[in-house]
Amino acid sequence: MAQKFMIVGASLAGATAAITLREEGADGTVTLIGAEHNAPYERPPLSKAYLRGEVPFDKALVRPAAFYAEHGIETMFGTRVTHIDPSARFVELEDHRRVPFDTLLIATGGRNRRISIPGGDLEGIYGLRTVQDADRIRREMVAGRRVVVVGMGFIGSEVAASLRQKNLDVVVIDPSKTPLFRVLGEAVGQTIADLHRVHGVRTIFEDTVAAFEGTRRVNCVVTKGGLRVECDFVVVGIGIEPAIDMLEGSGIVVDNGVVVDAYCETNVNGVYAAGDVANHYHPIFDRRIRVEHWQNAIKQGAAAARNMLGKRIVYDEIHWFWSDQYDANLQYAGSHTKWEQLVVRGRLDSRSYLACYVNDGRIDAAVGLNRGKDVRRVMPLIKSRRAVDLERLQDEVVDLRSLYASP
Amino acid sequence: MAAEFVTAIKTSDIPANSITAIDVHGTRVAIANVGGTYYAFDDACTHEQCSLSEEGELAGTTVTCTCHGSEFDVRTGKVLAPPATLPVTVYPVQVAGDSLQIKM
Repeated sequence: MAQKFMIVGASLAGATAAITLREEGADGTVTLIGAEHNAPYERPPLSKAYLRGEVPFDKALVRPAAFYAEHGIETMFGTRVTHIDPSARFVELEDHRRVPFDTLLIATGGRNRRISIPGGDLEGIYGLRTVQDADRIRREMVAGRRVVVVGMGFIGSEVAASLRQKNLDVVVIDPSKTPLFRVLGEAVGQTIADLHRVHGVRTIFEDTVAAFEGTRRVNCVVTKGGLRVECDFVVVGIGIEPAIDMLEGSGIVVDNGVVVDAYCETNVNGVYAAGDVANHYHPIFDRRIRVEHWQNAIKQGAAAARNMLGKRIVYDEIHWFWSDQYDANLQYAGSHTKWEQLVVRGRLDSRSYLACYVNDGRIDAAVGLNRGKDVRRVMPLIKSRRAVDLERLQDEVVDLRSLYASP
Repeated sequence: MAAEFVTAIKTSDIPANSITAIDVHGTRVAIANVGGTYYAFDDACTHEQCSLSEEGELAGTTVTCTCHGSEFDVRTGKVLAPPATLPVTVYPVQVAGDSLQIKM
């Protein structure tokens, strides 16, 4: 029966869902609504190759702009959804128009956390989420200029690396002991701190930004610890919040994003969520996880689309992402919050290691620095949830595939 | 210069179910040995130019570039999984005696 499929959020997850709906023979209309004016694009290049001016924007597009009309996907870009009514089955746009749907996907992603301290509204302070944000930073990127990067999560770390690669003078500030501390912990984080220091970044850890100073434009960052760092501009990367304001009063359950089950479905029948905004039940880890990465946007977007078509497919992907910084390739797979043991293959001080976050003898997650093959090979071990021979895991002579090849 | 078969490597130098790279006419070419059948293709991943012979994981006729996860069919060069969007160039091969010849 012909249906009205609607996707709110022309993100990587949203676009992938629209494409998948068409590829898998959706009978009815497919409408893709997004607040950004651009056709859907991938964000990984925004902090790396695109930021450094090495690739054109077109390369980041999920599909060429003409693709959607050619494939029967109706698009409404530059259109913000202000309200979703899942019982009356319509979404409301900012011009108060109402657009009806039968089956809905929420793929609105996130928006940058803002820093609310004195001077926060001065010119020359940037976040990075959209291509326009990247363009604003690019205009400031002249070799020799001084920049402060606030926050050393993945975005801050990648931006700091790109800025150094363009020969800017970079100071980074983060309240933790190391970059990526919250996810990777101190031992691994320290190796990333070293990577940045070796490339000439000045690092300030265990201190936070207290104020930005300047008359019209920022020219100094002041920390709680009393440091004053003069600068020409600032990039703030302190994480995102799920974009869920349009769900207020909708009855759709939110808790750290839109709560969905293993089929990407919310508490409301026929309403789904995917990508950065979705806090999904993961059957392998037996808990809810919200993931802000590229692979999840694609895989979950596709899985949600299949479930929108009634296929009842469990989404149980092992999450994976990469973060290229300078000439180093960092990858992470799995999901962990705490760990009893950090089991390292290779040496943490060697720029080539695989570090596994182990609980009860099982690998919950692994991070690799210049170890793409090991990360790939450890993923089936993570997925199996079986206890692993930790001695052999550490032994470089042992092919990781042999740890799961035999029963 | 028209493409012609050139002797590239001894087949015994390409271990089963692995990828080896050689230079042919100034191009780095990867050769996959899939259960005794050989496939030749550009060694550079079309996404960010990682070496497929060094970073690639071969499973059957699929090579996964382990830098960023792109997957290609070594028989056709077709992209099987992103982030790559462009296929890798593939080259015809033939076995002559104990040598592998590549047409390029």
